[in-house]
Amino acid sequence: MSADTRQFGDLATQLVMESRRSTQTDALLKYNDSLVRSLIREQRDLERAAEALEAGIDERQGPPPALLIIQTAISRNKRCLLAYHSHRVDHLRDLYWAVGGALPHILNNQDIRSKLSPHEVDYLRQYNSSVMEFRSEFSHELDITASITNPPKDLHVLVHVVKDCGVIQTELGSIDFQKGQRFMVRRADIEHLIVQGYLEEVS
Amino acid sequence: MSSSSASAMDWEAEYAAGVFEANTAALYRSSKSRKSRTSALALDSDNEDQDITMASASTSIRARTGPTAPILDLPQDDESPLSQLTRHWMNERHAPDILPAEEELLASLLDHIRRQSDAVQLLRGEPSASEEEHIRIMLVQMEVERVKFIVRSYVRTRLFKIEKFARFIMTDATIQTRITTAERVHASRHAHLTDHHFHNSVLQSLPETQSHLDDTPIFMPPMSSSFSSSWILTHLTVWLFFSFSFLLLFFLSLPVTKPDNSRAVFVHALRDCPPIRFQENLTLEMKRGHISLMPFSFIEQLLLRGDVELI
Repeated sequence: MSADTRQFGDLATQLVMESRRSTQTDALLKYNDSLVRSLIREQRDLERAAEALEAGIDERQGPPPALLIIQTAISRNKRCLLAYHSHRVDHLRDLYWAVGGALPHILNNQDIRSKLSPHEVDYLRQYNSSVMEFRSEFSHELDITASITNPPKDLHVLVHVVKDCGVIQTELGSIDFQKGQRFMVRRADIEHLIVQGYLEEVS
Repeated sequence: MSSSSASAMDWEAEYAAGVFEANTAALYRSSKSRKSRTSALALDSDNEDQDITMASASTSIRARTGPTAPILDLPQDDESPLSQLTRHWMNERHAPDILPAEEELLASLLDHIRRQSDAVQLLRGEPSASEEEHIRIMLVQMEVERVKFIVRSYVRTRLFKIEKFARFIMTDATIQTRITTAERVHASRHAHLTDHHFHNSVLQSLPETQSHLDDTPIFMPPMSSSFSSSWILTHLTVWLFFSFSFLLLFFLSLPVTKPDNSRAVFVHALRDCPPIRFQENLTLEMKRGHISLMPFSFIEQLLLRGDVELI
């Protein structure tokens, strides 16, 4: 197609490989804006090439093989693009649930924030409000965004404060958590702080 | 199995009586009800089979009632709401498809959680409560937390599937009958949100003819005479390349993800089941207690009737 030895679909393969690496390492990679852009450019070029071929179709011979190749390349590229984005969004949702639905915790984390595209930030915000709306169905009884990795074994838990997190309301009154202190508190009151890394369980 | 929630409710009433009347009869009753309370807790830990704190209580009950059968052989007829929910929770976690919502069961348990929590709040403020009563309050709180955990996990498992299949749910009427109104609203919001995200980040930049999410079938070359074998040969490398990369794509989710009902699940027969027909001459009749591994689609009906559970 061009001077260098690039095949159709090379870029898309790179993009999908990136998703795959992200799965393998279970890490969020930086949004590859330049690769996505060049893929979209490739799509436009392919579309133009296809149009040119379509214009010259000979009724008796049917469509030229080149057109079929181009169309396959187009749909494959598109699918790779969507798969890449869908994979990222899935990962972001996992991340969101892993911190117990604390959106500011994700968005204020510079390391994560720098890896997101602006659309993904929007996505997370809207996803958050959608989940909050669903959560309100249960708000009288329980908080469905709390952790579900380990079943509770104790009502109270001894925690070590890793980061200052200010005054927190618990059922025994408010506690000012300051770095280095230890508290015996009700697990349900501070579970989200453990998840977000402010407190650490002392075992 | 005695119904754990029923005994807990008795306890709640009797306990309130014990605190507020504070006469000997009430004390006697409350100590009696504490026993049933302990047995309820022990039965729950049988279900969970993960609990350590309740293990000693559970062994003492076992000693009294003789050796109980292993976890897989629970009698099913008079299940308490909690063990019903535990069963549905496990089914939901193992099934590839979304199972019918247990709205009534969930609602009654949620009501119960709320009543228990309110009662605990009330009793905690009671200054005359003795040491022993405090321990009992703690047990109830613990139990409430444990039930909450299961409810939460159940709701979240469904939510995860609903998000995964959101676009499919919006196009399929039968699956919509199996989810609650709140879940349907969430599915619709989620499908819309995903579409919106795809549109903003990819589709709007593509040429007009490509900017739709509807899957156009991927072209496969017809093996007819119009394609000479030499044509195929010259393009063989290209086709190989493409087929390889489609394989690569296979593990990534697509815009419309459907439940895969052919996924294999472990099935445990709760009672004798009618024979399952796999093929012309291959059937399986599961007796009570039988455990088998088979595709979900074959046991879907049995599961809905409650004849089997997934493990």
